[in-house]
Amino acid sequence: MKKNLNNKIKTVGVTLAFILSLSSCEKWIDTSLNTNPDSPADVPMNLLLPAIQQDLGYIMCGNDPVLTTGTWMQQFDGVDRQMYTEARYQLLPGDVNNFWSAFYPSILMNSKVLAEKAESQASPYYAGAAKVIIATTLGIATDLFGDMPFSDAFKGTQNVLKPKFDSQEKIYDTLFTILDGAIADLSSATNAIALSGDVIYGNSAAKWMKAAYSIKARHLLQLSEVNGNAAYTDALAAAANGFSSNADDYMVPWNSDNHNPIFQFMEQRGDIRMGGTLIDMMQASSDPRLPFYAYKDGNGNYTGSPAGSGDDLASKPGVYVAGATSPSVLMTYAELKFIEAEAHFRLGHTVDAQAAFEAGVAASVLKVTGAANTAWLDAHINGVTATLELIMAQKYIATFGNNQAFADYRRTGLPVVPVAEGAVIPAMPVRFPYAQEEITYNGANVPSVTISTKIWWDR
Amino acid sequence: MIFVLVLATTALALGQSVQITGIVTSKDDGMTVPGVSVIVKGTTIGALTDANGKYTVLAPQGANTLVFSFIGMKKLEVDIQGRTKIDVVLESELVGLDEVVVTAVGISRERRELGYNVQSVSSDVIADRPNADLVNSLSGRASGIQVISSAGDAGAATYLTIRGAHSITGNNQPLFVVNGMPIISGSEDTGVDGVTTSSRSIDLNPEDIESISVLKGGAATALYGVRAANGALIITTKSGRNLVNRKVEFTSSVGFDELSQVPKMQNLYAQGMDGVWIGGNAASFGPKIADLEYDGDATYKWDPRGKLVPKGTGNGTPAVAYDPYEFFQTGVTYNNNLSVSNGNNLGTYYLSVSNLEQKGIIPNNHFGRTTFRLNATSRLSDKVNVGADFAYTNSQARQIQKGSNVSGIMLGLVRTARTFDNSAGYRFPDGKQRNYRNGGGYDNPYWVANMISYDEFINRITGTANLNVAFTSFLDLSWTAGVDWYNRRYSDKFAIDSKAWPAGYYDEEMNDAGVVNSDILLNFHKDLGDSFNLKVTVGNNIFSSFGKYLYGDAKGLQIADFYQLSNSSTNTVSHGTSKYRTAAFYGDLGLAYKNLLYLGLTGRNDWSTTMPKANLSAFYPSVSLGFVFTELGGLKDNNILSYGKLRASAARTANIAGPYNTSNYYYAAGSADGWTTGVTFPYMGQSGFQLGSGLGNPDLKHETMDSWEVGLELRFFKNRLNLDASYFDNLNKDLLMSVPIAASTGFTSIYLNAAKMESKGIELSLDATPVVSKNFNWNIVINFTKINNKVLQLAPGVDNLFLGGFVEPQVRAVAGQSYGSVFGMDWMRDENGNILINDDPTDSYRDGYPWSDAREYRNIGNTSPDWLMNITNTFSFRGISLSFLVDIKKGGVMYNGTGFAMNYFGTSLATAKREVYYTPEGTIDFALTPAENITVFDGVYGHVDADGNPVSSGVKNVTPVVLDQAWFRGHGSNFGGGPTAAAMIPAGWVRLRDISLSYDIPVKNTFMKYLQIYVTGKNLLLFTPYDGIDPETNLQGAVNGQGMDYFNNPGTKTYMAGLRVNF
Repeated sequence: MKKNLNNKIKTVGVTLAFILSLSSCEKWIDTSLNTNPDSPADVPMNLLLPAIQQDLGYIMCGNDPVLTTGTWMQQFDGVDRQMYTEARYQLLPGDVNNFWSAFYPSILMNSKVLAEKAESQASPYYAGAAKVIIATTLGIATDLFGDMPFSDAFKGTQNVLKPKFDSQEKIYDTLFTILDGAIADLSSATNAIALSGDVIYGNSAAKWMKAAYSIKARHLLQLSEVNGNAAYTDALAAAANGFSSNADDYMVPWNSDNHNPIFQFMEQRGDIRMGGTLIDMMQASSDPRLPFYAYKDGNGNYTGSPAGSGDDLASKPGVYVAGATSPSVLMTYAELKFIEAEAHFRLGHTVDAQAAFEAGVAASVLKVTGAANTAWLDAHINGVTATLELIMAQKYIATFGNNQAFADYRRTGLPVVPVAEGAVIPAMPVRFPYAQEEITYNGANVPSVTISTKIWWDR
Repeated sequence: MIFVLVLATTALALGQSVQITGIVTSKDDGMTVPGVSVIVKGTTIGALTDANGKYTVLAPQGANTLVFSFIGMKKLEVDIQGRTKIDVVLESELVGLDEVVVTAVGISRERRELGYNVQSVSSDVIADRPNADLVNSLSGRASGIQVISSAGDAGAATYLTIRGAHSITGNNQPLFVVNGMPIISGSEDTGVDGVTTSSRSIDLNPEDIESISVLKGGAATALYGVRAANGALIITTKSGRNLVNRKVEFTSSVGFDELSQVPKMQNLYAQGMDGVWIGGNAASFGPKIADLEYDGDATYKWDPRGKLVPKGTGNGTPAVAYDPYEFFQTGVTYNNNLSVSNGNNLGTYYLSVSNLEQKGIIPNNHFGRTTFRLNATSRLSDKVNVGADFAYTNSQARQIQKGSNVSGIMLGLVRTARTFDNSAGYRFPDGKQRNYRNGGGYDNPYWVANMISYDEFINRITGTANLNVAFTSFLDLSWTAGVDWYNRRYSDKFAIDSKAWPAGYYDEEMNDAGVVNSDILLNFHKDLGDSFNLKVTVGNNIFSSFGKYLYGDAKGLQIADFYQLSNSSTNTVSHGTSKYRTAAFYGDLGLAYKNLLYLGLTGRNDWSTTMPKANLSAFYPSVSLGFVFTELGGLKDNNILSYGKLRASAARTANIAGPYNTSNYYYAAGSADGWTTGVTFPYMGQSGFQLGSGLGNPDLKHETMDSWEVGLELRFFKNRLNLDASYFDNLNKDLLMSVPIAASTGFTSIYLNAAKMESKGIELSLDATPVVSKNFNWNIVINFTKINNKVLQLAPGVDNLFLGGFVEPQVRAVAGQSYGSVFGMDWMRDENGNILINDDPTDSYRDGYPWSDAREYRNIGNTSPDWLMNITNTFSFRGISLSFLVDIKKGGVMYNGTGFAMNYFGTSLATAKREVYYTPEGTIDFALTPAENITVFDGVYGHVDADGNPVSSGVKNVTPVVLDQAWFRGHGSNFGGGPTAAAMIPAGWVRLRDISLSYDIPVKNTFMKYLQIYVTGKNLLLFTPYDGIDPETNLQGAVNGQGMDYFNNPGTKTYMAGLRVNF
């Protein structure tokens, strides 16, 4: 009996082992298991577009480009920790890692994918919107970094892991080419898949077209030190097809579920106060935008921290830039009016300049305060002869919350701002350093610069 | 039915037996030896000697031999030859040459047969130690291993490496195998903030462990193929084997944890700046505390005593410096364990239940664990054994926020000005937070401990079944198959007005993970003639791993202090899956020539679903040779050198890619900037996806480790002095990793076979017994490890890789440099390496001070130690045993980011000597300035030219300066722009890792068979140049980027007392 049992077990054991071993490899090693069941290999365009737009708002109008340049321009002041260091003109390659590593993949790469998808699906409106977003991002970035990888960039899948840098001159050419392409796309009579998911312009190709022209005007003017008067005439030509009212403003919305980046910074870090220069300028004319730009300090006043002084008792940034659900503003109708004002002024069109200047301030005041404030405009703006200093000062106030003030300052030297207290270099930086990670992983191609090295259009 | 028949047969056999009695004595002292196991050879029948060394055993008819064994004595086999009374004398044996060690896939080998290093750790150093996670108890118990715990928090993770790092960015922790079943043991990168979480090795009950074999090199683990590239811990749990009577064991202990080393703080200066008190200010550069008193202003809500004003202008209540470390409490651990085990010729069982409750030194930090284990075997017949292991663990933990995080306990604690009493309330009646920043900045640590929590619940089941069939005396089969599964559920709660989540936050995550494993082995062993013995094993392994998580959060709570996902309008949900399988065939051949030469050959072929189709399969061989040269004619039976063996081995082992790395995917979109928590989807009523920024790779191949090892074992004076030395060289090639790439490629990383790394090392173990006598023994065990890890090569175009840390400093892998190099800013230096001291009166920077070189990040130190040494002394006198382990770590630096940031806030002790007076000419007034405040920086005079390049005078600096507020708000701290190099502090140590005193109380009655009481201490003494917390911690928990201290939660020292009773 015992022998019998042992034989049985022996047979069963050996058979089991044999069967398991033989059958294991073919069926067990099922290579389809290596497809991630939870992440799609492809997504439709209407899911890509809002993802790109969210990044556009959070990154390009977020804490790195806006707080840092706004602090240097003394619209803000950094009063503690990293922001205090930046206020005194120290900005290291490591400090811009997050910014650089966010906009390249999240905005530019994804927009490129979206544009290619749109072109292959005969949907030029998606392509146009994607191209405007590429140009907007590239424009903000190149004005901070100068030369950047573009023609050789976005080729990770083709194993180009160390993209060459394009000169800023070439980047600018590319930028205008992309915008012209966007304008052509957005003018198309046919479009297969209708825009959807667009949180910026509610799926309006016409508004994207105005944005394309307006961004083009911004950057055509930026070349004033390169192209001279041609820059002004070109800018005016583009501006003619740009925004026609505050309703066209190019903004990324936030809501109670997804808060404004500067609001989040103030809530979670809090090391920024209003800059003394901006506050003093607005106090001087009792500017009605002040209660929207700044909160009252602990004593009930609007005060700014003088640059580099680290005065954390000064007013905090107000609801216009740092409200929980305030939109991030990429470009406004008001800014376009100031572009026109400057261009006309430089070309000697004083009447047109005056009109554009007054329209610019009025648009900004209306946008920020929600009221026309005609009396204040009549008292302080309307009829006051528009000088270049005045145009640039009012543009400086109106563009609070994006990085145009820093670009304009490098181009025009206006408005004049003092060197920060405790500055570690003699003068205000004129650019961002390249990101540490780009230096670390693409070092041979990264131009050697300091934050005092001027970019191409800054002469 | 069959089972009943087997029982009947066995019962029948038991009927006809012969009673044999006798006494066992020791050769050393002639005393009788209690507790000796007496087994009838070839059966499981046996007995133990009683307190007088007497035994009685019922031997079946026809039994030939009795086997006497006792730990520490040589096993003795005695032929019965028809006798009924057999007295024997046992010889002591300090280290068993015939010791059987468990090697890869559960194959047992005698130690002398091995051609590679295997070290065993026994239960006595695991069970009685105050460590919830048994990995902590391994520290110092074997050469070649390094254990780092992430913090002193109850339930904190541990980081274990064997022979250093093998992978650059991947898993470096060894495989854990419990009774033949590979289990889940790892932990996750906890990042630089958040909470410290446990390693899953904490789910094992240390009391259940019988022994652990540490498999270190490639040859030892080659049979595990892709599974054990980092070495393996082969864990054997207790069982009922070799027991004759039922054993009931109860152990109980209570332990107390206290705060270990903490950063020293200044206690002279109040909150504020520029010598002025400012309530709510971040810094402590205010006036002297001794010059202040309270004004009694009841309307000042931040302090119940009012504002601080100069002495003589307030209400006379003097300002005081509060002690922030009073926040910590004494941690208490209760540990109880009960086990019952027995064995006979029908089978064996071991049943245990344990409970551990640990209250941490941080208020509300808690870890609790309950385990059950049942191991049972049943002998179905002479030739067939079946068995099953079942283990269940339930654990709960509450962890508290740490690190670079506005909620980090230490961050809030040591940035707080000494004049602010965090303990005087953390929440106002309106729900708002009270903290030293007047509501801004960082969370009050009491708020963190009470209003923010991370709760984790684990349920884990491991079940295995095994079958052993002995077909003939030379051929048997064993099959072990099992499942290890756990469910981990955790939630984060942030009350409204927490600084990281001002509107409140709640999340719930459910993790479901498991592995299924089967190993079938066919073993053949036979003597070939008189001189040769052959052992052959062939086997098959199949393995499957699965994981799934489900996550939901609620951002912004509508009802305060109510944690429900629906208590918010903003929810995000996500889930993820990880699944893969492997299969393998393997073989092991051992050929022995007499007792002289042992040859081992292994081979394994693996298939894995995570690899691209073209590279699914890979083959890994190993060869090892053991040469017991003391068996040679002239050396045999030598009284000085009792035993000597040379061993050598070479092997190739491997590792596979993780799942889903061969292609690209889209993921749910979101955006963050590194400053803030950012935004997510759904957004504006939309869902959104974006292309993943990590590039997959369809051309991956297996990573391999080619290793070789030579070793020497020497035993002198009949094992009184034993030495084991190994030298190894591991060459890791084609290391699989996610390589960071320039973002301008459109991606931030690519998965590649990207690097080549080499580790070479020496391991020495010395075991000496200077004194052996009837009553007193003294034993010393020394383990020494020296490992050099060098990154030889990175993928084309990749110069370095991020392992951990911050933007700056970072722990990096750099081609041509040691693994774990730290990169960051250094002081501005001249070409001779001298620090420049500013001598340019025209620039804006003060003369006499150094400054940082912001031009590039340099290698500013390495976190890896030069060597590790552990010395364990054990003294036993009658029933008293005293053992202590001294742990020495030489070299290695650590980033004291805590202290460097405290400088900026003016709270570190370094900022105490700030008082300085100047003459009208602007020079230091030496008459008024305290002499001890004067510092002269070590360096040479210099400055930078217009291009920012250093210009050195070469002249030694002699300018006296004072380290004042301007210094610490500048280059004397991290936020001031100071160089990280100034915060890289040597982190070697000499520590009394543990000390244990036990007493075996003689017990006379038969009810209680054994009683031991013991006291144990851990980390009672620590000598280290490191001036922060206990350097044996790591910010990111159990991960590769070691050596970071940025407001880490501190370590502990522990006292424990316990008892062990057998019935």
